[in-house]
Parts: sequence; structure tokens; C-alpha cells
Amino acid sequence: MDWLEQELREALRRQEPSPDFLERPRRAHVLPMRRWMAAAAVVLAAIGAGGAMREYQGHVAKERVLLAVRIAGGKMNRIQAQVRGVAQ
Amino acid sequence: MTGFADATGTGCDFDALVREHQAMVFSVALHFLRDRALAEEVAQEVFLSLHRNLGAIQSASHARHWLRKVAVQRAIDEGRRRKRQAVVSLSELAEPAAGDPQGDPMLGETLRRLVGTLPEAPRMVMILRYQEDLDPSDIAELMNMPVSTVKSHLQRSLALLRQKLARRGLGEI
Repeated sequence: MDWLEQELREALRRQEPSPDFLERPRRAHVLPMRRWMAAAAVVLAAIGAGGAMREYQGHVAKERVLLAVRIAGGKMNRIQAQVRGVAQ
Repeated sequence: MTGFADATGTGCDFDALVREHQAMVFSVALHFLRDRALAEEVAQEVFLSLHRNLGAIQSASHARHWLRKVAVQRAIDEGRRRKRQAVVSLSELAEPAAGDPQGDPMLGETLRRLVGTLPEAPRMVMILRYQEDLDPSDIAELMNMPVSTVKSHLQRSLALLRQKLARRGLGEI
């Protein structure tokens, strides 16, 4: 065994882990759960935002229909007044 | 110490197995992954797996072999999963500072760093050879590869390390 192999043996000697390494929570299990929770929050927010958007679009459509009805009603009134004038 | 129940009825003392083999399991992962926290997580998983399979362990030597094999596999799996670990070739690595290898306190770290940049198979072969002092035939059995491949990895890795160190006057050729 030459000097390099001896140095490698020394460099790669065993080391002890932290004394409590088995008792600490495992990041590998905690982090994915946090990621899933964050993803679920984003999905729920998107669903909520989608609902609010649909509600807003429905409100706008209703306002447009009412406006159209008002315009049509006004025109009808004017036509009826003209018809009455002609008849008299 | 561990918080795990020990009464499995197998005759294997889990706590004693942990105490005896934790340095081996942890160091295989540490030298392979070069990340202490990650190596401790891998060691946790290995011992958790041992606890689940304690009934299948037949003897102390079987436990040592089982732990070594699972540690090797888990470390390799973790290395593959961890894409952030950039594996660079030896030629891309920054040149170590010149100095006398006999008195250079940084040589050990330089060697660990150089070994850590080897591709996964030769890296694990080097760790099992120089950390665990295993023969090529034992390494071949652990890593499911021909003995000739193990020997080839050892020779080529040593030649690369020697070349890299010699280029800067670190050590003999």
C-alpha cells in the first residue's frame, strides 16, 4: 500500500453521527408534507378565485341584460307616444 | 437511546446494533454524499429499515452485512435523487494548493473532495475499499458488479487522484 492509499484510508476513516441523530424529526418526511400543504393551498385559492370570477361575470351579464331591457323599454315608450300622437 | 422498541423476540438487540454500526452506516453516506445532515437522514432510514426487518436478521455478522448493503444502496439512491449535487469531473475541479503531503492538514479534505467528485460507482467502490477496508470481491458482492469492474474502478480512480495531486506537487507519483 503506497502513500496515497494510506492517506485515503486516513481521509475516509469512519466518523460518528450526532448523538441524537435517530431522535430528530426526519426532514425527508416533513418537507414533502409541507410541499403538499402549500400545493393544496394554491389549488384551493385557485378554485376560490375561479368561483369569484364566475360570480363576477354573472353579475356583469345580469347588469347588461337589465340595461338592454331598460333601453328597449324606453324605445317602446317613445314608439307608443308617437303612435298615440298619430292616432289623435 | 433510540426511542425504538426492542422487544422483537429475535434475540437481536437493536440498540446495540445501532451503537456498533452507526459510524459505519453514517460514514458510508457521509463520504458518498458529502453532506452531514443528509448522511444522518440516510442513516436514520437505514436503521428504521433495520428495525422493521429485525426478525430477518440471523446473526451479528448478518446484521453488519445487511446494514452495509442497505447503507450503500440508500446512499446511492439519495445521491441520484439529489440533483442539486453537481458532479464535476476531476479535471474541472479547482487545483488544490501545493504543499508537502506529509504535513499538509488540507490533504485529507482535498482527497475527500476529489473522491466526492468521482462518478457514483467508482466513488462508492473507493469508499468501501478505504473506509471499510473491504476486498474487491466483497465490494463486488455488495454492489452487484464483477470483481474485474471493481478492480478497474480502483485502478482508474487512484490513477486520476495521483495525477491530479502530482500535477501540483502534492505527493509522490
